Amino acid sequence: MKKMPFKLTLLALALVAAACTTAPTTQLLDRARDEYRAVQESPMAASYAPLEAKQAGDALALANAAAENRESAERIDHLAYIAQQKIALTREAVKQKSAEAEIAQAAKQRDQLLLDQRTAESDLSKRKAQIARNEATDATRNTQLAQQEAADAKRSTQLARNQTAEAKQDVQAAQAEAAGAQRMAQDAQARSALLEAQLSALSAKKTARGIVITLSDVLFGTDLARLNAEGMRSVQKLVALLQDNPQRTVLVEGFTDSTGSAAHNQALSERRAGAVRGALVDLGVGQERVAIRGYGEELPVAANDSAANRQLNRRVEIVLSDDKGTITPR
Amino acid sequence: MRTLSNMLPTVLCGLAVVLTVGCSSLKNPATTDIAVTNAAVESAVAAGGSQFAPVEMNAARTKLAQARQAFDASDYERAMGLSDQSRADAKLAQGKANAAKARAAADALEDGIQILRNEIKRDKP
Repeated sequence: MKKMPFKLTLLALALVAAACTTAPTTQLLDRARDEYRAVQESPMAASYAPLEAKQAGDALALANAAAENRESAERIDHLAYIAQQKIALTREAVKQKSAEAEIAQAAKQRDQLLLDQRTAESDLSKRKAQIARNEATDATRNTQLAQQEAADAKRSTQLARNQTAEAKQDVQAAQAEAAGAQRMAQDAQARSALLEAQLSALSAKKTARGIVITLSDVLFGTDLARLNAEGMRSVQKLVALLQDNPQRTVLVEGFTDSTGSAAHNQALSERRAGAVRGALVDLGVGQERVAIRGYGEELPVAANDSAANRQLNRRVEIVLSDDKGTITPR
Repeated sequence: MRTLSNMLPTVLCGLAVVLTVGCSSLKNPATTDIAVTNAAVESAVAAGGSQFAPVEMNAARTKLAQARQAFDASDYERAMGLSDQSRADAKLAQGKANAAKARAAADALEDGIQILRNEIKRDKP
């Protein structure tokens, strides 16, 4: 009787010892341990959810302690359940933190993209602005060119107009000149025609010394130095001629025949020349325009052998100067 | 043996005193515990636990209710156990809700970035 209880006690002791070597556990605790191991092995938990991981570990430690202390299975399961929930919470915290990290990263990405886009838009608008500026510059240049061309054209037109005007003026001047020349020519012609007529009326001769008008002996009284009426008419003609040609002067030369003494003839020739000058001056010709000279019986135009020839030698020659008033001396 | 039998009433009395004190000493911690759990559950609800973690949320609510029943029945140890589990459930529900919301936000942002990328690609000449 006494041996049996001893054997039973031994058995019980052995069971207790066995239980001690392998600590009592539950399915739930085992699962919690596995889950906790998985969480610990993930590197994310340590960095993203260290607090939750620690709380889960503490909760699991409580459950383990309960198992070590051989508390009731119900108590162990209760603690294991709480540990399990905290392990799950650790996993959720890791998920949340990694999602938040993604958000931060994505926000950065989005900002970069927006910045890129804005930069691109800005570049585009800058490029557009540059193009517009270039176009504006081109337009301005074109306008300036056009204006320049217009100005050039205007200038050319003005020049052409000026040239035309000048040409017109030239033409007019030329015409005027021509007209003037014509007028002068006409005047000269008229004058020379008049002169011719007057000269022919005075039966003038063109000689090497110029035009020579001879007043013959018949115009003077014989051996007298006075002009008769016909002589005066000739002198009047000469006066008209001199008044029409105020630039001309005259040299009045007196000649005689060889009848009588040379001194007498010299004096007579001078007196006759002086008489002509006197008549000219009386009729309004300036004294300074009339020079006189007596040659006496010198320079006869015919031999003094007949009355007719001697009459030819008794004469007064009036030499008309050229337009400048000079007379070629004899 | 005699001594033990003499002492038995004293020992029983002492045990009763200890138990009573023990029980009454568990009442205040249980009150606190349930209050803390209640706050945790409300916080989880506010975080969207019902939407993102309905299983955990239901468990938390049920266990909180049971904890209160146990408390009313003066089973303070059981009340605290249920309260602790309810709190763990509520916290997990809140964690799940927060994780799900963060994931949704991250996904939305990724989608937005993808759309932006496509737009930029289209804009580029």
